[in-house]
Amino acid sequence: MNSYQRVMNTLAGQPVDRPPVFAVLGAYGGRLTNTGLRAIFSDASAYVAGQRALQETFGFDLVMTPFIFTAISEAFGGVTAWSDDQVPNMKRPGARAPVEALALPLPNPLVAGQLSVVLEATRQLADLYKGDVPIIAVVPGPGIMPSLITGMEQWMETVLFDEPLARKLLDHTAPFFVSWANALLAAGADCLVVTEGMATAEIAPRSMFAERFLPLLASTFAQIPGPKVLHHTGGRMNHNLDLLPGLDGLVGVAVGSKDDLAEARRLIGPDLNLIGNLDNLSFPALSADAVYSMSQACLRTAAPSGHYILANAGADIPLTTPPENLRAMRLAVADYPAVRGYGS
Amino acid sequence: MMNSKDWSDKLLVTMINADRSGAAEIIERTLATGIEARQVIAEILDPAIVQLGRLWEEETMSLAQNFVASKIAEDTLLRCIPNMTAHPHSKGALVIGNIEDDFHSLGRKAVGLFLVAAGWDVHDLGNDVPAEELLEKALEVDACVIGVSAMMQTTALNIRKLRQLIDKRGLAHRIKLAVGGAVFNWRPDLVAEVGGDGTAHNAVGADELFMRLQAEVLRGKAL
Repeated sequence: MNSYQRVMNTLAGQPVDRPPVFAVLGAYGGRLTNTGLRAIFSDASAYVAGQRALQETFGFDLVMTPFIFTAISEAFGGVTAWSDDQVPNMKRPGARAPVEALALPLPNPLVAGQLSVVLEATRQLADLYKGDVPIIAVVPGPGIMPSLITGMEQWMETVLFDEPLARKLLDHTAPFFVSWANALLAAGADCLVVTEGMATAEIAPRSMFAERFLPLLASTFAQIPGPKVLHHTGGRMNHNLDLLPGLDGLVGVAVGSKDDLAEARRLIGPDLNLIGNLDNLSFPALSADAVYSMSQACLRTAAPSGHYILANAGADIPLTTPPENLRAMRLAVADYPAVRGYGS
Repeated sequence: MMNSKDWSDKLLVTMINADRSGAAEIIERTLATGIEARQVIAEILDPAIVQLGRLWEEETMSLAQNFVASKIAEDTLLRCIPNMTAHPHSKGALVIGNIEDDFHSLGRKAVGLFLVAAGWDVHDLGNDVPAEELLEKALEVDACVIGVSAMMQTTALNIRKLRQLIDKRGLAHRIKLAVGGAVFNWRPDLVAEVGGDGTAHNAVGADELFMRLQAEVLRGKAL
């Protein structure tokens, strides 16, 4: 059973030889190939070389398209801050205010700067791995998308104090979310991970998500034909999990490290997949034994009912994480069938 | 007749409900009853902020609610103290900023608002501030605490340079280093790793932290 079959069977609730394991590793590929982060995220071939090195070194059950949201902020005129030791950040948004953002044309993903690099990397990954290893693309959700155009503060202020204007901006940017997601699928992505900040407890209360952002997810997901996972964006998601079943094409939810996995299963029901929820920020300081134990604990909690993928919560695993800690995750799933008879 | 605690409880409810206009109405009503503006801040706004901090600690408040609460605090201040710079009982000068390479301003701005509300003379240097600039400003305005914010682990590590600068110039007894931002809530051990003298889990806890650090400086001077 290859990684693609293992993940697809898990998503479909079919038997597998062992639980799949994901590690969010984009920048880490550059560490393995001795390539700077700017080169990794600006050159599709350099990025794909990093993913190949990761696959050969660790053999996780995914390859990732570039996880670089500044490609979107740049496409809307924003300025990126590059760093040697972290994924790039938005230095200055393309629009100073929502009204200005409304006047910006929506970028064409096929030709817009860094977005075209992401698509080219996706195509190259598909050439290498299609059918063998799932190709996972990460996209910012439609509710948080405007923050990449105006900055988070402007966006929150608009959401909270000018609902009609917030609605206009969401209506303006939603087609871009749809076109970007579909472009990634067309380039070869097998599944989309949608990071929706407005779905996390740390950003917005449940009532706000339910009334204003869940309908947006529903309407946009219906226009994207591929499988989708909703991601916690570093926060907690359990408070909203019961609202999610029924979203078009939703196959799973990535829950945060502070979410209770057992409770997550109870809330989301038996048929959707759970992905998570190791604390990625703790990885650099932990021993490999500790990562192994945490991984086994997650597996004991969530794997017996199936529909579960072990993964780190949060975004990119820090570059300072020792390789043996990543191998410990991989080892934990390899050992799991012997412990639990998974999939037998 | 309602007392200050009653009004404060009502204000807290508007903060929890993210009801900015409701909060403004409460403040107007308190002022209309003859409560002095400074009393509104000290006995109505401040206790509500403290309660809000407790709710944040219990992880029952979202960024959206906190953001509205900070706006309510700002509204109240602007209503009650027309000339903010002429605060008659300033607790002292502070310097705050996001450390070099960090561009996540939301938390820092909320901290600044709550510190102003609490009576500090806040010098906010903005995003992406080099360690040298933070220290020079602190010396210029005679600040006893520098508050540095970082959202991510990688940028948080840039705070170590400020720690080194303070220590190298023999200023550790005179200037304390407060650190904050989302990553410190997730990884409390990072406070010591970057050389912070203390942290607050949220904007509303910042006043208490800065008061404690200021007291440490003053105790050091008295010895």
